[in-house]
Amino acid sequence: MFDKMKRLFTPAKSMDADEARAFMRDRNEGTFTLLDVRQPGEYEKEHIPGALLVPLPKLSDSYEKMDKDRPVIVY
Amino acid sequence: MLTGEGFQEVYNLSGGIKAWTGGKAEGPVELNLDMVRGDETPVEIVGLAYGMENSLGTFYRRVKDRTQDKELADLLENLAWIEDKHKQYLVNLYNDTESKQVSREEFEASETSRIMEGGFGIDDFLHKNERFLTSVPSLLDIAMMLETQALDLYIRFSRKTENGVTAEMLLRIADEEKAHLESLGRLRDERA
Repeated sequence: MFDKMKRLFTPAKSMDADEARAFMRDRNEGTFTLLDVRQPGEYEKEHIPGALLVPLPKLSDSYEKMDKDRPVIVY
Repeated sequence: MLTGEGFQEVYNLSGGIKAWTGGKAEGPVELNLDMVRGDETPVEIVGLAYGMENSLGTFYRRVKDRTQDKELADLLENLAWIEDKHKQYLVNLYNDTESKQVSREEFEASETSRIMEGGFGIDDFLHKNERFLTSVPSLLDIAMMLETQALDLYIRFSRKTENGVTAEMLLRIADEEKAHLESLGRLRDERA
């Protein structure tokens, strides 16, 4: 219970664009998840190549389909 | 939210997409996904990718044949040559993974596609982008746009693919596109 509460209030770290580019460049595709939580219309206009679109309102329904052991970069 | 759900390593991209300095892809999630059924075998998917690399090489050489500008012609030949190298990469990727070997000549013989990487038709793309194909900087921008769309499409193909070996091959092809995109970016910075 304490561990779950602790995790819930653990803020995610941040990466700037250069750090994220280097992170993705240095890793094979399929070893991390680039998650786009915007709306489909925003994704359609422009997105980072390879991003997985899961709009924020649907995110909680998608946890089980995502690999929790892989690093996730969210925008 | 994700950290509270057991995700081990989560990063927020500071500034979101607006701060992103790399290439950006366009289009809905479904764009060009009808090019694959989802149950392709490795040889089918490598054949598809081979055809798209081949068509992009054809595109660059067609543009080259129209120009009198030597610098532009040299760049176009170089871009076409890189696509030739990618075709060999695909043949090697396939033969390193599968026990039944397929030669480059066999992939070449079965190739009939007019669709380039990223899912663009050669003639339509040429017609719509003719004005951007007349200078080195704009040609490099076009080349980077095509590779960005290709990277995005291969990864979306992999998500639609049921066969694990085929999906893994698509991700390795995406890695190759990613590396190509990096080298094009360096070339563009040098020429800027």
